[in-house]
Amino acid sequence: MPRAVGGVLVECDPSIKAIISRINEQHNHDIIIEDIDDEHVLIKKDKHEELKALLKDALRDTVKEAEETSESE
Amino acid sequence: MASTASQRALDYLEGLPGTTFTRLYQQPSTALAIFRRMLPHLAKTIVMAMLYMPEPLTANSLDAWVKPDADSVGVKDRALSILQRLRILEEEGRAYKLAAAFAKSLRMALTGGGNHRSFGVPCSTPDEKPVSVDYLDTFARKQWESILYYVVGSANTELAAAEDISAGTKQLLQKGSFVTIRGRAATITDTGFTFLLQEVNAQIWTLLIVYLEVSSELQMDPVDVLSFLFTLGSLELGTSYATTNLTPTQQQMLDDLTDFGLVYRRTPDSTRYYPTRLATTLTSDAPALPNSSLSSTTTTDITAGAPQTVSQQQNEKGYIIVETNYRLYAYTNSPLLISILSLFSNLQTRYPNLVTAKITKASVLSAINTGISSQQIIAYLTTHAHPVLRHATPILPPTVVDQIRLWQIEGERMTAWKGFLIKDVGSDKDYEKAVQYAEALGVLRKEFRAKGWFFVTRMDQMSGYFKSQNARRRQEAAAAAAAAGQEGGSSAT
Repeated sequence: MPRAVGGVLVECDPSIKAIISRINEQHNHDIIIEDIDDEHVLIKKDKHEELKALLKDALRDTVKEAEETSESE
Repeated sequence: MASTASQRALDYLEGLPGTTFTRLYQQPSTALAIFRRMLPHLAKTIVMAMLYMPEPLTANSLDAWVKPDADSVGVKDRALSILQRLRILEEEGRAYKLAAAFAKSLRMALTGGGNHRSFGVPCSTPDEKPVSVDYLDTFARKQWESILYYVVGSANTELAAAEDISAGTKQLLQKGSFVTIRGRAATITDTGFTFLLQEVNAQIWTLLIVYLEVSSELQMDPVDVLSFLFTLGSLELGTSYATTNLTPTQQQMLDDLTDFGLVYRRTPDSTRYYPTRLATTLTSDAPALPNSSLSSTTTTDITAGAPQTVSQQQNEKGYIIVETNYRLYAYTNSPLLISILSLFSNLQTRYPNLVTAKITKASVLSAINTGISSQQIIAYLTTHAHPVLRHATPILPPTVVDQIRLWQIEGERMTAWKGFLIKDVGSDKDYEKAVQYAEALGVLRKEFRAKGWFFVTRMDQMSGYFKSQNARRRQEAAAAAAAAGQEGGSSAT
C-alpha cells in the first residue's frame, strides 16, 4: 500500500543542501523528514520559516564578500 | 482556465464543507456565477451536456466523449477534478451525476421562472434623482482608491493627506495582514504589496475573501454573504435595487460594501441601492475600474481633480520607460502610482507630469525583503510599459530584467512546495500509472524515479485513486483465485 508523507519539499543546490543538513544536525535532527537526494529534501511543514531564517544567517556568514561589490555609481 | 481573480475565490470555495455548497447552490445566481466564472471550458461543456440527463452518466460514456490521447485525457481529468472539488459532480460507483441542488438552480437560472429573487429585485418606483453611471464609477473609484491609498500610505507617510477610510475597513486590512500596526502608524506587509500589484478585480476578491473569513467570526452566515456577492455580480449597472427582500445579514453587509465602493446608497437607511461597476464585474472579465489611476496615467488626484490632457492621451497605454542603464521614467502625477514605484525603485526627480527613478540593487532588495518577487516587479513594469517601449521585443531591456531576477536569486537559495511525498507505490507499472494520473490532475511536482517516490501538492484525489486501485487489485486477485480454484476443481473431476 502506498504511503504519503506530508511536508515541504525543498529544492536547492548541493552546496545549500549541505548547509541544510548541517543546520538539521545542530537542531536535534528536528527539521528534515526525508533526505531525498543531493538537491532535494523533505522538511517538516512548521519548520520551513525557521529553516529559511537559519539558512539566511548561515549564508550571511559564508558569502559576505560577494555581497558588497556592485553598489557603486 | 479561470483568471487569477476567480482563482482566489475558487481556492476559498474549495475549503468549504459540503453542506455549505448544498445551501449555496440553492441560489440560481450562485450556480450561474460559479458555472460562468470558475469552470474551465471542458467542464462547462460537461455540465451543459449532463444538465438534463435523468440518469447518472457512466464513466465509460464520459470517456467516449474525449479523444484517447494523453493531452485530452489530461484536460478531462482536470475538468472533472475541479467539478468534484466544487461539489458540482458526484461520483456514484463508476458513474457521474450533477449535484441535485446545483442542477436545479442552474436550470432555473437558464430558463427563468421561480420566485427565488436571487438576481436582485429592482425598485418598482423610479428614483426621483436617478444616479448616473458616471457618478457611480467616480464613487466606486474614490472609495476603492482611498483603500489603496491607505495601504500604500502606510509605506509612505507623504501620502497621509489621502482620504480616510472607515474603521471597519482598516480593521479588515489588518485582519488580512495587508498592513500591521506598529506603534500608532500602519505599516504595509508583503501581502499588502502583492495586493497592490494585482489588477482591480483580483484586489476586490482578495479583500472580499478576507471579509468572508471575518464575517463568519462575527456570526454572519457565510452562505448569506457569498450568495449576496454572487447576486451582486449579476446585477445591472445604473439600476437601483430594493433592500427590502435582503436578509438581515445582507442588510448589514450593505454598509461594508458601501465602504468598499461596491454599492452606492444615498443615505445609510435608504431602501434602494445601486451596484457599482466594482460589483457588477465581480463575476465577469470586464475591467472593474475603467478610469482607475492604477491602469491609466490620468490625474486621479481627487482633491486637485484637474484632468491633464497630455496624460489622458496615454490613458490605458502604460506610462513607464525603462532604459538599459536602469533608469526609469514614469509619465504620471498620481501619488498612488508614484508610491507604488517607490516600492522598488529610488525616486530621483519629480516634474509636473514625469517622475524619474533608478532601479538599484538596494531598492530591489528592499522590495524583495518585504515580499514582492522579482516576477511581480517585472510583470508590473511590462504591463505598464510606455507605448514607445512596446515597439521593441522584448519590451523591457533584457539586461535589466535579468539583473532584477539575479538580485532575487542571490538571496533565495532554495525553492519550496507544500505537499506530500508518496512512497511504496508498488511495481514499476503501478508507479508509472500513478505518476501519470498525478500529472493529469496537475498536482505532480517532482519525480524521484530512482527511489520510486514522487511529490504531489494535493493528496485528496490521489488517495481516492490509490483506494480504487487497491480495490481493483483485490477484485482481480479474487477473480484469479476463483478461476484457479475452478480450474483446479475441473481438472480434479
